[in-house]
Amino acid sequence: MPVVHEHGERMKRFKNKGKDTAALRRQRVEVNIELRKAKKDEQILKRRSISIVSLEKSPSPAEDKNVIAPLSLEEIVEAVNGSSTALQLQATQAARRMLSRQKDPPLNHIIELGIIPRLVEFLARADSAALQFEAAWALTNIASGTSEHTRAVVEGGAIPAFISLLSSPHMHISEQAVWALGNIAGDGPLYRDALINCNVIPPLLALVSPITPVGFLRNITWTLSNLCRNKNPYPPLEAVRQLLPVIICLLEHEDKEIISDSCWAVSYLTDGSNDRIQIVVDTGILPRLVELMGSPELIIMTPALRAIGNVVTGTDEQTQAAIDAGVLAVLPLLLRHTKPAIQKEAAWALSNIAAGPCQQIQQLITCGLLPPLVELLDKGDFKAQKEAVWAVANLTTGGTVEQVVELVQSGVLKPLLNLLLAKDSKTILVILDSISNLFLAAEKLGETERLCLLVEELDGLEKIEALQTHSNNMVYRAALNIIEKYFSGEETTALQPGSDEEGLYNFSVEKQDFNF
Amino acid sequence: MELSDANLQTLTEYLKKTLDPDPAIRRPAEKFLETVEGSQNYPLLLLTLLEKSQENVIKVCASVTFKNYIKRNWRIVEDEPNKIFESDRIAIKANIVPLMLSSPEQIQKQLSDAISIIGREDFPQKWPDLLTEMVNRFQSGDFHVINGVLRTAHSLFKRYRHEFKSNELWTEIKLVLDAFALPLTNLFKATIDLCSTHANDASALKVLFSSLILIAKLFYSLNFQDLPEFFEDNMETWMTNFHSLLTLDNKLLQTDDEEEAGLLELLKSQICDNAALYAQKYDEEFQPYLPRFVTAIWNLLVTTGQEVKYDLLVSNAIQFLASVCERPHYKHLFEDQNTLTSICEKVIVPNMEFRAADEEAFEDNSEEYIRRDLEGSDIDTRRRAACDLVRGLCKFFEGPVTGIFSGYVNSMLQEYAKNPSVNWKHKDAAIYLVTSLASKAQTQKHGITQANELVNLTEFFVNHIQPDLKSATVNEFPVLKADGIKYIMIFRNQVPKEQLLLSIPLLINHLQAESIVVHTYAAHALERLFTMRGTNNTTLITAAEMAPFVEVLLTNLFKALTLPGSSENEYIMKAIMRSFSLLQESIIPYIPSVITQLTQKLLAVSKNPSKPHFNHYMFESICLSIRITCKANPDAVGSFEEALFMVFTEILQNDVQEFIPYVFQVMSLLLEMHKNEIPSSYMALFPHLLQPVLWERTGNIPPLVRLLQAYLERGANTIANAAADKIPGLLGVFQKLIASKANDHQGFYLLNSIIEHMPPASVDQYRKQIFILLFQRLQNSKTTKFIKSFLVFINLYCVKYGALALQEIFDSIQPKMFGMVLEKIIIPEIQKVSGQVEKKICAVGITKILTECPPMMDTEYTKLWTPLLQALIGLFELPEDDTIPDEEHFIDIEDTPGYQTAFSQLAFAGKKEHDPVGQMVNNPRIHLAQSLHKLSTACPGRVPSMLSTSLNAEALQYLQGYLQAASVTLL
Repeated sequence: MPVVHEHGERMKRFKNKGKDTAALRRQRVEVNIELRKAKKDEQILKRRSISIVSLEKSPSPAEDKNVIAPLSLEEIVEAVNGSSTALQLQATQAARRMLSRQKDPPLNHIIELGIIPRLVEFLARADSAALQFEAAWALTNIASGTSEHTRAVVEGGAIPAFISLLSSPHMHISEQAVWALGNIAGDGPLYRDALINCNVIPPLLALVSPITPVGFLRNITWTLSNLCRNKNPYPPLEAVRQLLPVIICLLEHEDKEIISDSCWAVSYLTDGSNDRIQIVVDTGILPRLVELMGSPELIIMTPALRAIGNVVTGTDEQTQAAIDAGVLAVLPLLLRHTKPAIQKEAAWALSNIAAGPCQQIQQLITCGLLPPLVELLDKGDFKAQKEAVWAVANLTTGGTVEQVVELVQSGVLKPLLNLLLAKDSKTILVILDSISNLFLAAEKLGETERLCLLVEELDGLEKIEALQTHSNNMVYRAALNIIEKYFSGEETTALQPGSDEEGLYNFSVEKQDFNF
Repeated sequence: MELSDANLQTLTEYLKKTLDPDPAIRRPAEKFLETVEGSQNYPLLLLTLLEKSQENVIKVCASVTFKNYIKRNWRIVEDEPNKIFESDRIAIKANIVPLMLSSPEQIQKQLSDAISIIGREDFPQKWPDLLTEMVNRFQSGDFHVINGVLRTAHSLFKRYRHEFKSNELWTEIKLVLDAFALPLTNLFKATIDLCSTHANDASALKVLFSSLILIAKLFYSLNFQDLPEFFEDNMETWMTNFHSLLTLDNKLLQTDDEEEAGLLELLKSQICDNAALYAQKYDEEFQPYLPRFVTAIWNLLVTTGQEVKYDLLVSNAIQFLASVCERPHYKHLFEDQNTLTSICEKVIVPNMEFRAADEEAFEDNSEEYIRRDLEGSDIDTRRRAACDLVRGLCKFFEGPVTGIFSGYVNSMLQEYAKNPSVNWKHKDAAIYLVTSLASKAQTQKHGITQANELVNLTEFFVNHIQPDLKSATVNEFPVLKADGIKYIMIFRNQVPKEQLLLSIPLLINHLQAESIVVHTYAAHALERLFTMRGTNNTTLITAAEMAPFVEVLLTNLFKALTLPGSSENEYIMKAIMRSFSLLQESIIPYIPSVITQLTQKLLAVSKNPSKPHFNHYMFESICLSIRITCKANPDAVGSFEEALFMVFTEILQNDVQEFIPYVFQVMSLLLEMHKNEIPSSYMALFPHLLQPVLWERTGNIPPLVRLLQAYLERGANTIANAAADKIPGLLGVFQKLIASKANDHQGFYLLNSIIEHMPPASVDQYRKQIFILLFQRLQNSKTTKFIKSFLVFINLYCVKYGALALQEIFDSIQPKMFGMVLEKIIIPEIQKVSGQVEKKICAVGITKILTECPPMMDTEYTKLWTPLLQALIGLFELPEDDTIPDEEHFIDIEDTPGYQTAFSQLAFAGKKEHDPVGQMVNNPRIHLAQSLHKLSTACPGRVPSMLSTSLNAEALQYLQGYLQAASVTLL
């Protein structure tokens, strides 16, 4: 339970007063359970190759029938298992056509026919490039389905066959092989590593050259990115070392899809422990990533922001490398981006930078990040507001008194207090923690009373009071704590008379202990 | 227990007895049930009875007993025995759902509660088929059954609204969604269809609408944590139907009741909540639907009446609009001038009107009215919601909104002017509108702190507020009078001072108003004005400016306490206190009359103290009278004692617990006013103060310690001479206090006073015992707080009796004790001492140990000399060590013996800070330097050699600084 753990850590910190900043950084939280729809802005895991011919040429099925006589499933099985190359080709093509149609490709039916092992055999048929191609295409599309479907292809022995095909003299065949391998790699860490163990990387990288056509290169990049993808376990370090130099070259390409997929690859490689992040930082690629983060293309900006967001979950040094690469100059734009998902991701990155030492917090302030942060708290999408709240919490925990003052002067209080109405217990608790931190700073400055008034003026007091009846125990206790500590003594401060009675109202220290 | 008829019969008998009004019959029966509830089959017997008993009372009683049994016993607590037999658990889970569904409503509710208690523990892992069992009932078509299922589901799922996200929680929610979301959606659609087929059948509609309310509530719970995929895919279905339900009306569902919300209102109110949830959290997905909801909710507001039963719906609906109109990307929905005008005219203004219900509260339930209106506990009211909407709209449209309302305010004021006695409510609405329009930020302490610059507050004040208050008849239009006074109160920082000064006599005049609200507001307004700060941190309104009004102010304030309904009005009493504090010596001429009235009041309320704030301010006022008078004329203390002691005696004799801590504080104050030996009247009371019964109450301890300290300060000799036999009792109190981790510091206060003031001979025989007690605490249960107090005490002792005496008494208790305390306590912990005076005492004490204690120079204690000096320099120079060991975090709570009358500190009975070494030592650093110099002259060469061998360089540097400042050198 990462969240519970996360909070436990934070509570511990408050009590021990130790400033363990590493604990403040929040990894991309791995929720095993998702209630939401799968995210729309993720990179595609598997792709099916849809028959362009049939799309263009066959608006009606009747016309399609005229081109090639349709085979029944039985006929396909028979022909595939037969010995006539011509019939094999015809049947494989028929199967491929079915698998390539736009709507409801019969993946399960084809698998149930049991022809996959034969199709895999066809991959090795150097005598018929057409048969190799059709078989590769058909298998690519089967592998593009669910994990079950991919497994059927892999268990049919397709991995070594496709890897051999990478070196096919026919470019369209090796391209199809790249695609198929991409689908297999995209299935998950198991098959990804199976591919890596079958030595897929060297022949794949060999395909990348200055003369590789852009379309082909896109496919290769996508497959490379799938080889970098997925955790538990991560791809082997050795593989990463092989892949990374090529991916970095591809990041410099001018085609936006190639850039996008290479960015995704880097984002996967940085989504992990600090030593994984370090490998990427060491390549010196951060400035380029930061530049791409500012790209007007959403498909580039999104993965570049992800990658940088991952880097700043790392150590203080790694975060510093991102800061040195200029991340703080680009974040304001992204915090103000119209897409909620970008706002959220940018705010998450910001919250992790704010979890750093006060020097980094200072850079964050100097680079003008507070105004967009406050704006986001005020007007952002709720998901982004939640991240922004974390940024405030981290800043108030690790920042110096002066930095906290600066945060307050940027107008953080009003939107922060408004968010106490959020329908999310965790966010409320984090805000209450931030408010406590603000009060600690105010105490040091002897400005407690002023902060009390400010909180009350901004309608914060009544919101905190209302939270004393919140059903969540921790929220209720945090609210009660603030009220008792800072807002219950209205009388004692107000009771102090004017300047007339010298010294009489100067309570001795022991009087503080009188509080029962 | 077997499942036999005989046992059922027995159980029936006992259940019946638990309903008996006679405790002699009821209690034993309850006891009996408790003793048998651990038996196998007991819960099953209860279930049998609630199903099959012939008597309805027994059925109901069995169901309640069953639910309470489940509540107490179902949870399996680690390391505690399982209180319900496994077979019984299985049988209960197998039978309870059908049983609940087939029971009449009264029993159904109890069983539904029981299911949710069981569910909280067992669902989903240990009760996997619960959901399917419930969902299957949706098909039954029997809405009695369906509502039972829905109610149970609601109590099972509502925790999703407040719990933190966790994998465990989300796994459960996902499971629930998979099993429940689709059937719920189908049920929702089917129920809506049934509503139109049964549109003319009132009783069917009632059942169906109850289902819809529960369904809408379940929607809220299931959508709370995140937007589930299923609901995103089915948003069209849900939102379209919610939208049409918002616009639905059916005469058959309208209720005659004016107060209680009907089904239709409850449903619409829940739908507003659901829409607000989506608008806040899932804005991206909800955006296409939002404008429709804005329009529907706005139409709803326009068509909903003024009755109280619509209040929750209306305030929910307005709050929804208020939250949406602040969002930049929905600005366009409100931008149009006609829209704005229409919202102002049809939504805001009508909901600001003073309603019949408000008028009723104003007259008959003033306390509640004041609480809502003055203290801001109006969060759910219509006026408040309307006010929030004004502020929301002003975020983007301040100019246009102010413009629209200015027109309204003018026309309402004109209406009023035409015929005040009929149209006074128009003026009330106008004032309310101006107030809500103008106030952008507000605090209790300062009133409005940020105002809308487009509103001319002073002009409105002079033209429309003051004239009302100047009117000769204070009892005319009380609501408008209250409005006017409130206006002064909240805009006190905006209205210029000269206007405030002009208002003061008007406010004083309104203290005489018959209306409780009016004279309360007048008192409160005066109190607030008197606390305003001017330049130089003085009060804005000075005593000199108040001079012409002193008499009438005091007269009217005390007279107001005699008005019906205000005999214990805390606002008036607070105003009295504040007036005293502001006016100071100008009240002296009135004190005889004032103190008589206060003591009479005190006597009256002590019969039955019920208003804690009133009482507190009353005692504060008494303290102020004493202070102010005795400052000018110390001899006056006697007359106060004369006036007060009779009442005090009565309070003490009748043991009025709420007042006793106050009485002790006032007595301390009086006693401290005496310059000479303690009067005999106090001495007579002394033995009574040592009564253990007084010390058992937590709230008494601080003021009693304070009082005993005053006795010791003024009367140590008298006690030693005339009450020596009471000394053990006094020390007994010390012992009692020192034993408690919560009160030990109080024990030390007392002990310090004893050591400081009692003649040494009088306590000589007890000294060793005292130290032994302290050492025991130190050994067995030391806490940081105890150590801090202990350090201060031993150093005070050292200052008073000398370092040698300290060493001797320690070592007489146990050989080498002195060295052990130095090494284990003083040296490592001294840095924790806090407080200026405390630190000074320690510094002087340690200096004495270093320089006036021969064994420190020529025994094995010598090795501690430099470390002790180093610790002392640390105390001077290093920041205070405020760390507390982890295990001590909750110390203060653990020893506090439950809740008793809390101690209420009187600010105006405050004690002067006392510095027992003040006269002896001014600058402790210089004192150290001089003392070291003296020591070094006594044994030349030794001190510098000790310093150079083991004092660290930094400390040495500081020390050289002290020596230089004191212009001495060490020999």
